[in-house]
Amino acid sequence: MTATVSAGPAPRRRRRGRRLPIGRILLLGIYLMFILAPLYWVLITSIKPSDDYLAVPPVWFPDAPTIVHYTAALFAYRGLQGLINSLIISISATALSCLIGTLMAYSLARFRTGGMHLSFWVLSQRFLPPIAIILPLFLNYRLVGLQDTHVGMILAYTMFTLPVTVWMMYAYFRQMPRSLEDAALVDGCTRWQALWTVAIPLAVPGIVAAAIFTFIACWTEFFFALVLTSRDAFTLPTVFRAFLSFQGAQYGEASALAIVSLGPSIILGVLVQKHLVRGLTLGAIRG
Amino acid sequence: MGDAAFADNPTPVSRRRLPSAARSDRRFKWLLVTPAILVILAISIYPLVFSIWVLFVNYDFQIPGHAYVGLKNFRQVIFDPVARYSLLVTVCLTATNVLIEFLLGLAIALAMTKTFRGRGIIISIIIVPLFISPVIVGQAWALLLQRPFGPTNYLLGQLLGQEVTISWLTQWPWNFVALVLADVWQWTPFMFVILLAGLTAIPPHVYEAAELDGVGTWQTFWHITMPYLAPMIALAVTFRLLDSIRLFDTIFIMTGGGPGTQTYTVSYYLYTIGFTQFHLSRATAGAWIFLILTLIVVVFLVRRLLKQEES
Amino acid sequence: MNDRERRDFEAGLAREVDSWLRGEPTRRDFIKRFGQATGMLALSGAVLPPFARSALAQSKMQLEDPNTPLGKAQAAALKASTEGPTDGSAYRAVEAAKQYSGVNLNMTYEAGLQALDPRNFSGPLWQDLTGIKSTVVELPPPDMYSKPISEHIAGSSAYDVLDLQPQWTPALADGGVIAPLDDYIAKYMNMADLEDYHPLYKALPTYKGKIWGFFDDGDMFALYYRKDIFEDPKLNEAYQAKFNKKLEVPKTWEDYAQVAQFITDQMAPNVYGAGHFRKAASPGNQFDFMQQFRANGGRFFDENMKADLANEIGVRTLENMKAANAASIPGNNELDAVSLWAAWLQGKIAMMYSWPPTGRMSAGYSQSDKAISFIPQSSIAGKVGYAIVPGGHPEHAFGFNKALAADSENPEAAYLFMQWACSPPVSLARCMLPYALRDPYRISHFKSELYGELFPSAPEYLANLNNSANVGLLDPIMPGAQDYQLSLDRMATSVWAGADPMEALKTAEAEWNATTENLGVDSQKAFYEEFLKLPGATPDNTVEKLGMAVQL
Repeated sequence: MTATVSAGPAPRRRRRGRRLPIGRILLLGIYLMFILAPLYWVLITSIKPSDDYLAVPPVWFPDAPTIVHYTAALFAYRGLQGLINSLIISISATALSCLIGTLMAYSLARFRTGGMHLSFWVLSQRFLPPIAIILPLFLNYRLVGLQDTHVGMILAYTMFTLPVTVWMMYAYFRQMPRSLEDAALVDGCTRWQALWTVAIPLAVPGIVAAAIFTFIACWTEFFFALVLTSRDAFTLPTVFRAFLSFQGAQYGEASALAIVSLGPSIILGVLVQKHLVRGLTLGAIRG
Repeated sequence: MGDAAFADNPTPVSRRRLPSAARSDRRFKWLLVTPAILVILAISIYPLVFSIWVLFVNYDFQIPGHAYVGLKNFRQVIFDPVARYSLLVTVCLTATNVLIEFLLGLAIALAMTKTFRGRGIIISIIIVPLFISPVIVGQAWALLLQRPFGPTNYLLGQLLGQEVTISWLTQWPWNFVALVLADVWQWTPFMFVILLAGLTAIPPHVYEAAELDGVGTWQTFWHITMPYLAPMIALAVTFRLLDSIRLFDTIFIMTGGGPGTQTYTVSYYLYTIGFTQFHLSRATAGAWIFLILTLIVVVFLVRRLLKQEES
Repeated sequence: MNDRERRDFEAGLAREVDSWLRGEPTRRDFIKRFGQATGMLALSGAVLPPFARSALAQSKMQLEDPNTPLGKAQAAALKASTEGPTDGSAYRAVEAAKQYSGVNLNMTYEAGLQALDPRNFSGPLWQDLTGIKSTVVELPPPDMYSKPISEHIAGSSAYDVLDLQPQWTPALADGGVIAPLDDYIAKYMNMADLEDYHPLYKALPTYKGKIWGFFDDGDMFALYYRKDIFEDPKLNEAYQAKFNKKLEVPKTWEDYAQVAQFITDQMAPNVYGAGHFRKAASPGNQFDFMQQFRANGGRFFDENMKADLANEIGVRTLENMKAANAASIPGNNELDAVSLWAAWLQGKIAMMYSWPPTGRMSAGYSQSDKAISFIPQSSIAGKVGYAIVPGGHPEHAFGFNKALAADSENPEAAYLFMQWACSPPVSLARCMLPYALRDPYRISHFKSELYGELFPSAPEYLANLNNSANVGLLDPIMPGAQDYQLSLDRMATSVWAGADPMEALKTAEAEWNATTENLGVDSQKAFYEEFLKLPGATPDNTVEKLGMAVQL
């Protein structure tokens, strides 16, 4: 059977109980407020005129909301270019990571290539502290001209997300029945044909889920972008950070950019809810 | 339970096919993994190997040249009181964060196991923090807590009926409370999602049997729910532990390591010596020590965990 | 749509959405424009990678109405560049630079506001004059130091003109990141323009007998206070009654804390006596400490190059700063520079000391540009007085040098841009931009009538900045300056959080000695002795004490 975090029917265990006990309502209510409070405050800060920042009591909703922080963050500063860079880099890295990750996962799942060692080696990349590889990576990027380029960032993010795609797809292929591929082989297909015409089409739902997780991971990544970009390939989180440097701690602009950045990842994240468990555990638990 | 374990146990196809086909299979299977391996070799392994050289030379912007210095870089890190303190902070913060996230995540998951109206929407809201950049999470909490902008003190003052003057980002222990809050906010949903999956996967007949036998709620929880949930808990906690020890972004945004070096974590410490002071080789030495400590955890915890899933 | 149109369009869009949010009837227009904007976004997304840089990074030049003081200053800068005087540095730079037409210069700048000048004014103007293009690389402050270094280590020529803090000069010069300018200066510059620098700032970029950049931002701390509060008769009476002396703008740090506490006691929660940026790594603590420690008679190192912080002077300094903190606005210890400005501009603080933009913001001049949307409008314009900070020795905190990247592929073109941008007429126009955080540093700036017209009290403001520079002190300029200052910041914040001052000073002292030993005691000693020779290195060595004070 399959566990699910979606709103689907959960097993009924007690006869009584469509209505929640008051304790649970309280717990959930408080927790929801806890989740929403910072988001609300960022949203409000992003539309607040700066005159309202220090008001006591705090301004819960500004009388004269403004979008000046949005236009300033996107157009007067570098927000728009960061947004576009983030899109280019995240989408490309996602595509690349899913392509080579799926191929590797297929090989691992169907042939046990390299045994447990190879798959574990890939997984261990997920837990490397980024600070350990960033400096030499930077030096070598410079030598081959990848520093501060979209290509360089795409490659770095591909590496950084490979463990996720490989392990998610590995789990997916292993639960996928092999009979159809075997039938294709018996019909005279080559391995390649069986892979492209049978296995991959069947795995599309898994690939889409993996792609969305990969995209979100790239979209929110900060540390690599901080060190590997400067003039051309900078991403949204690095622009965000620049708004917080000391002489120009521009809270309104930072909040506006935060809201812009939240949009795509939250929408995608909620869409992919069904696969969340698998995404978070790299496929070790099926969602 | 069947969920966490993988359903079918594949037998190598090659055994059933002809020798020439087996040979082409071998070529095929390695061909498929080559691109991924190349990327990892180029972007991750090669830099690591390169950095071994950096460990034993002087690679410090302020001191020219790359003279061999033996173990000096390691000595400087190991004998730096801030380094040891930051390790302690990392361990304590990680333990606190993961413990709270686990307990809260479990409580929410238990409260959400049964279906009710609006459950789907609530789940959608709860998981939102997972999709937000930690830099932004740190900033959101700073905005909420920081004096004099943040409304927190005002709200607490209204609630308690007296003026509250907590400096959330600069005053012990509130600065740690603030850091824990931000981490708990972002990662409790992680625990929740995994534990909820585990809870809904427990077969209902087990509970029904227990109910028939007249077993109490607590006993049901301890003797049925928890054992079923144990593998999920182990997995969730391990993942969170390994991510939590890298804690950097929220510290960077919220406290800047301060006051003094009070909120330095290992990552923040290494970032400071590497990228604001530019003692590159010392930072690399520290990073390797940290890497090895992490690897020990990875090898023992994760491997065991996944092997167990495998069998 | 060209850039100008786009900017107008966006400004209009912002206005319309604002009025829409307020419920005014422009909804149809709003939807129409929103559609246009979305289309434009999608379009620019599709074609962006090749055109992104030219379209977005570089705006068209913005010139002000020639009837405003700023417009006049810009016209004067343009005239000096095109018509001369022909022996002026601006004119000569432009003439010599024309041979490099078509070249592109990469310039580092602090991200955000600072970068608006080269993007909207000096960059496009320079391109119009010479045909030399420029790309502005925006970096947050720590990266302004680390990126040039790492690019140099990696052997790239990513940057041509660097915006650097003066304290980094020795490290970057010895590291080979920046190149000396002496030969170019001899060839191209009008020496009178070098003499036009305030003496404090003229000597700043020199190191080992060479010139390593052009000073370009007079970041002198000054005291800003509320005249209306200090002139309030009731307060004056109460102060007289309590302390048996007149309520005056404080001259010593003890007085400062006392007056601040008095005002807080009298006027809180409406107004508090003072406010400071005391948040860790914000930065500010190290400047405040160095400023007071030296005014109190402290020295950084003894004869043997051992740190000399953990003594009675250090404790007195920290205790005094703690007293000032206690007398300040709630949340003082969590403020950064911008939050402090916000509190100040809304009239919540009676005294503050900070960088010079404080004066322009107080007068409401900075907020006339829409890029300054992150601080409130000034509610205290016309009520602000200027003074030298208590203790009499204000810190020159940060500042910027323009420096020539040693790896530049077009060093001469890069140099000529620097000479032009820092020449008297051009630098004046740049300092006067409302959104600029560049502050006056030339004698001709302090004397400028155009600058004096920017806001009513601008002449007094300029005079105070000049007088502050006469007695001001420099941040130590030596290798390891970053490390020393980091230790001070940690020390100060730990004391604010309750640590014992003496213990904290001892920790900082140990860290300082470790830094010194790591860099080499003898070489650090030589650097420190070199620094002590600069005007403004110690209270005994200020411009005034050396007899070079500038009187306006």
